[in-house]
Amino acid sequence: MIEQKILEEVLACAMSTGGDFAEIYAENTRNNSLMLVDGKIDRVVDNTYSGVGVRVFLGQRTVYATTTDLTRAGLLKCAKSAADVLGELKTNISVRLTPTAVPNMHPVLLDPTTTDIKRRIDILKTASFAAKDYSEKIAQVQGTLMGVDHAILVANTEGLLKEDRHVRTRLIVNSVASENGENQSGSCSPGRGMGLEMFDMFDPREVGTHASKQALVNLSAGYCPAGQMTVAIENGFGGVIFHEACGHSLEATQVGVGMSEMCGKLNQVIANEKVTAIDDGTIVGAWGSVNIDDEGNPTQRNVLIENGVLKSYMIDRLGSRRMGMPMTGNSRRQGYSYEPTSRMTNTFIDNGPDKNEDIIASIEYGLYAKEMGGGSVNPLTGAFNFAVREGYIVRNGKICEPVRGASLIGTGSQILKDIDMVGQNLERGQGMCGSASGNVPTDVGQPLIRVGKITVGGR
Amino acid sequence: MNFESVRQILAEQAKKAGLCDYEIYFTESSQLSTETLKDEISSFSGGSGAGVSFRCIVDGHVGVAATELFTKEELESLVTRAMDNAAVIENDDLAVIYGGSESYGKTDMPEFTMPESSELKALALSLQASTYSESELVTDGTQSGVFAEVNHFELANSKGLRLSNTVSLGGAFVQAVVNREGEAEEAFDFSLGYGEADKLPKKAVEKAQAKLGATEIPSGKYKIIIDGRQMRSLLSAFSSVFSGKNALLGLSLLKGKEGEKIAADCVTLIDDPMMKGSFVQTPFDGEGVAAYRKSVIENGTLNTLLYDLATAAKAGVATTGNGQRGSYAQQVSISPFTFYIEGGALSDKQLLEKMGGGILVTELKGLHAGANAVTGDFSIESAGFLVKDGRISGAIKGFTVAGNFFDLLKNIQAVSDNVKFGLPSGFTVFGSPDVLLPEMSVAGK
Repeated sequence: MIEQKILEEVLACAMSTGGDFAEIYAENTRNNSLMLVDGKIDRVVDNTYSGVGVRVFLGQRTVYATTTDLTRAGLLKCAKSAADVLGELKTNISVRLTPTAVPNMHPVLLDPTTTDIKRRIDILKTASFAAKDYSEKIAQVQGTLMGVDHAILVANTEGLLKEDRHVRTRLIVNSVASENGENQSGSCSPGRGMGLEMFDMFDPREVGTHASKQALVNLSAGYCPAGQMTVAIENGFGGVIFHEACGHSLEATQVGVGMSEMCGKLNQVIANEKVTAIDDGTIVGAWGSVNIDDEGNPTQRNVLIENGVLKSYMIDRLGSRRMGMPMTGNSRRQGYSYEPTSRMTNTFIDNGPDKNEDIIASIEYGLYAKEMGGGSVNPLTGAFNFAVREGYIVRNGKICEPVRGASLIGTGSQILKDIDMVGQNLERGQGMCGSASGNVPTDVGQPLIRVGKITVGGR
Repeated sequence: MNFESVRQILAEQAKKAGLCDYEIYFTESSQLSTETLKDEISSFSGGSGAGVSFRCIVDGHVGVAATELFTKEELESLVTRAMDNAAVIENDDLAVIYGGSESYGKTDMPEFTMPESSELKALALSLQASTYSESELVTDGTQSGVFAEVNHFELANSKGLRLSNTVSLGGAFVQAVVNREGEAEEAFDFSLGYGEADKLPKKAVEKAQAKLGATEIPSGKYKIIIDGRQMRSLLSAFSSVFSGKNALLGLSLLKGKEGEKIAADCVTLIDDPMMKGSFVQTPFDGEGVAAYRKSVIENGTLNTLLYDLATAAKAGVATTGNGQRGSYAQQVSISPFTFYIEGGALSDKQLLEKMGGGILVTELKGLHAGANAVTGDFSIESAGFLVKDGRISGAIKGFTVAGNFFDLLKNIQAVSDNVKFGLPSGFTVFGSPDVLLPEMSVAGK
């Protein structure tokens, strides 16, 4: 992307005022997405993002400068602007980079940004038309087929020089069911860290029917009652509960500055012994996987909680300096305009000891949250919330009528203890996680779990 | 590469390709920001960048391609890419490159010059020191920050229209963390411009301290006042229901409601691209249409939805000049400018007295997930204060407020006279006074 000699010169310039470490991150991203509405291709988003971020460290302080000017002069100006902010000290260092090949664990067969557009339109239409044809009550369908080809380069003053490419594909279908002046929605949005070959694994039609089926369930649903109850949360995107309730609080971004309820709890029991939770950026072809993180470190499988005991945080370079602990391959950013920080990759609760049928059978009265929407958390207090996209009342151990408009709230440290049954059908679901370093693709996941008591927002 | 050279390359390429209708939208931006931790600057970032988008019409369809990579090859390929993209569009939208409005308003933005990095750092450090000195409960994790940015926009098209606008703004924030006997709480406050920044430490620390000792409340029905800072977030979460495009597609329940009563008499909702005092004013939208002030809801009646050229043509109305493009990377999409509920006659305090007993909601969280614009339903994690006899009593947390946005608009009983505006995103800013609502469903302990 940029000549090695220029990178070395730019790094030396970045260090010229006394920094103790400098890094260059360069990005060239092609984003090509097709959008369909009302049965017709409505829009093509075709954007190139290209730029560089130069970061200089001095102890636990960082300076970050960005530019879209990739000429030698532009890059040097960018590095100098970072160095100038840092200090007055004049130092003269030279940097020697050693290019290292990055083994590609996530091969791509059909690039989702360049493969024949007719083929991509066909996938999008197959999914969207299946959604529309599912029922006469489906009034509108919006579909998107998103392709991203994200090429990165990382070089730093420890001599590291690596280039990598992250390709991802996602199909999103939103259905609206309408009856008697009322609208209800349903959605389905699988994604993978691979090309269009992801549709060899499942039929786009199923994505469309899934979204419409959910919209129809909600159309027939009454409002969810409010109050504390026992809740069973289904697998896949249900794992957003761990992502929000605990995952963010284990990121060095929060822990490193004392802004997490999980500070200082390493090797302590923080969850029910049935809970083992993992962050794994190496799963082949997964939505949240990458070969190397955005500081050039290989991703890895980090066991965060083992049988209820906190085993690891997720740590980037700055977090490592703040916490005095090693990096864990979790440094991520949306692109060059963001300074990286510790983020999740594919994070999930592992299978547990309970049979799924026993979980439902154990609930006298409660909520079965079949599909979850997104949520948010305040890591300082652990207070979190997330939306239930498809839910049912459970009575006497049986799943009964659907309910809509529910949300779940609680605090992370409490809910980890209140997860009292963990089933055996682990699956992952895809999301875009928004935080300090922008939006990054992450998988969440879990098997069916039971939370003994949680506040259900309804009416 | 500057705008003029980019424009020339693209125009040349368009000519070669035989294109008659095209538009070039160019944005250039620079920003500075700094943050503190404990008693020192923890991070400083600065950046500059530019990007361009090429939009053209081929056989009655619009195609767009955008880039930040200013090589000759990339710019030349941009024209081809936009043409290829137009070729697959199937909608029957009016495709037009706009020739220009009769006249454009004049912006009157507060004066702002980009500060030196040393000034930025000094202000952040002084805010941080004041925050720590506000209270012994203030603890590490507390952050102060200062930011500044300049964004420049250029639009040029094949109809000879040339428009430009420059928007500069800066501001400061304090995120105070307090800890009392192991119980931690935090609060955030910001100011636009630096003039009022010195008031932030006290405000943020007071807000954080007020949250300490919060209790949980039983589930039930409560009268509610939503603080304007939260009501504007709710308005933001549901703003897409005012899009004429969403209405035409059946994605907004306001479809066909123009001229009808959709809100209480006390609700007037304004969209103003050149709001006095705003740092982000623009005389034109992303299609080059003159932007203007309008009442979207006036005394409860829906006057108009928001339109761009294509949607207006379909609906048989004139565009409202809301085809926005916050940057080169965004395609034209309908969104409001400074969008706010007008203030009423009562002060915030008088509104509390009018309610008597109930809940003052000062935090709504996770609106991106808990609010559904298609149905209007919301169920939102909240925090705030119990109100007894018109006065704020104890802090409360860990409850949800649930309802429906369209019902809420109709049920607003009164609004205060104090409109609170948020941080801008592109040219969009939301604002609201405190609003008083009748009993709503609350889930607690």
